[in-house]
Amino acid sequence: MAGDPNIARLLEHPAIWRGRSAAAQPPGLPSGFAALDEHLPGRGWPRSGLIEILIARFGSGELRLLLPALAALTRAATARWCVWVAPPLLPFAPALVAGGIMLERVAVVGGARPLWAFEQTLRSGACDAVLAWARQPRARDTRRLQLAAEQGRTLGVLFRPRRAAREASSAVLRLGLEPQASGVRITLLKARGAPRTAFCLEL
Amino acid sequence: MRPRPSRSLIVPAAPVLRPLPLRGVAAAVAAGATAAELWVGVHLPGGADGAQLAALAERAQRFTPRVSLEPPDGLLLEVRGSLHLFAGITGLRAALLGECRGLQLQAMLACAPTPLAALCGARAGRPFEILESAQLIGQLAPLPLTVLRWPEDTVARLGRLGVRTVGAALRLPRAGFARRFGPAALATLDRLTGRTPEVRAAFAPGVRFRRRRELDCELTSHARLLAALTPLCAELGAFLSARQCGVTEFECRLVHRQHPATGCLVRLAAPSADAQRFTALLGEHLAALPLPEAVRACELRVARVVAQQPQAACLWQPGEHGGSLAREACGLIERLRARLGPAAIHGLTFLEDHRPEHAWSLGPPPATLGSQARSRVPGPAALAPEHRPLWLLAPPQPLAAPHGWPRRRGPLRLVSEPERIESGWWDGAEIARDYYTAVDAHGVRLWVFRERSAPHGWFLHGVFG
Repeated sequence: MAGDPNIARLLEHPAIWRGRSAAAQPPGLPSGFAALDEHLPGRGWPRSGLIEILIARFGSGELRLLLPALAALTRAATARWCVWVAPPLLPFAPALVAGGIMLERVAVVGGARPLWAFEQTLRSGACDAVLAWARQPRARDTRRLQLAAEQGRTLGVLFRPRRAAREASSAVLRLGLEPQASGVRITLLKARGAPRTAFCLEL
Repeated sequence: MRPRPSRSLIVPAAPVLRPLPLRGVAAAVAAGATAAELWVGVHLPGGADGAQLAALAERAQRFTPRVSLEPPDGLLLEVRGSLHLFAGITGLRAALLGECRGLQLQAMLACAPTPLAALCGARAGRPFEILESAQLIGQLAPLPLTVLRWPEDTVARLGRLGVRTVGAALRLPRAGFARRFGPAALATLDRLTGRTPEVRAAFAPGVRFRRRRELDCELTSHARLLAALTPLCAELGAFLSARQCGVTEFECRLVHRQHPATGCLVRLAAPSADAQRFTALLGEHLAALPLPEAVRACELRVARVVAQQPQAACLWQPGEHGGSLAREACGLIERLRARLGPAAIHGLTFLEDHRPEHAWSLGPPPATLGSQARSRVPGPAALAPEHRPLWLLAPPQPLAAPHGWPRRRGPLRLVSEPERIESGWWDGAEIARDYYTAVDAHGVRLWVFRERSAPHGWFLHGVFG
């Protein structure tokens, strides 16, 4: 049946959505790790929308995982900002520079209301990527954040504790992360059009 | 950077050239006065105070930048260049009369190639439209002499000679006229006919904005207060756009019956003249403002305006081709600051220093100018990313080290050679440390150091993230 050209043409129609087809995904933002790109729908991070990275412990390698993509975003000729909302510690400027990030595109938002600031930043349309650390967003909040990210054409990255994997979320992509001896073990918890898998990645 | 006093300075030897003020005909030529001019004279028969006249002049700047005051009851506009924008002189007159009506002023208009002639026509109540210099004298001739506002006795003496109109005065021999009635009177006639050009001082609008509004009833609701302040914001927007200026901050004061007035300073991320933005920001600030008492009056003040080039709307969205993110980014900065405080958003700066504490600083938020704002990449070429953590603890956190082995929720395993950082003896913040990469029991990579000096304490300084 798959060989029939008529059916193949029919299946290419944009109105037909097929759950597990990588071809239907818009091309993503290369993550800088070939092994990760292979598993992600669209062969990279989504360019807009909310993704969640669930970590057992702060500092499991979550930032090193994002660093090449952030560097590529801030170095693009038409780069917008890259904003860090309520980071738990101070981003160390020399390491960011060494990682290839243009500091003049980086802003840090502090303050008491990280979820509100995160939503405003995502929605503003002034940012390419927004990273946020929030305590306990509810499922309703993730829906708002996801809509805001789509409206602002922004990649929003929310870092949450590992136990949040049990809760529902509207994020387009959810990854679990565990530190390993030389790298991380990534569990693909939720991804549009990709099966749930787990694999190891050298960082 | 301030130059050190020991260093010699290079001072330009030639004095800075300043344009000298020009006088008389030269100034008129420089101002383009010799080109065919067309003046509209506005006479306010009911009289007007200084503020009303200035308000009318401000509105008249809509038609032309060359507006000149003739106190106490006159205004002059040079409109030759603006005629085509208002469908000719008829359309322009109608629009100008509309502005006068908006200020509840009775006005008489006349236009002529010289300012004095236009003004005289308006004073005489003859709304003539003289577009060509050739018709000027013929139209002026029947006007009574009083329109020239000469001293009483000059007019009386001329009257005794049988000279009662402008035309009759113009027919008198010039030399005799000057001898009898003074050169000033002759100069007036020359200016009237355009024989000598007249240079008018241009009206310069004030740059301080201060508007107060007494409320009809005392208000406590923030929403109603904002509604009362909205017209003031609109006035501020009009004030600024008329001057092609913007503000970076403005103050709103709320006056109470007993308590001292409540002040609220609104800061903008970039100069702006957008009334809607003012209102939205003021709303954010008001929402967080506690009111000790009901408000009976409100006031909007601007201490300083800054020149602002009007921004062309961009076809591209931010992130596309040449799209500038100035508007979105400024809006974001302002919203965050209004809700979370002035220190809500900042940028990061890299400093060339080996001491980790001194290798960074907080800066202003990133430039909002879009892709043009490109600076050089600081070059810590020797710095490999694996040797510096992405997170820094400030200040370093002391670690327990029983028997000399650092621990943090279990023993730490040192996985790198020590990196010695010893620097800063010159500014009193000297450090002498051996840095290691350590891995804790959960596999998290940490950046720890051991003091070189006694008591050789261990500290956690970073997390590799």
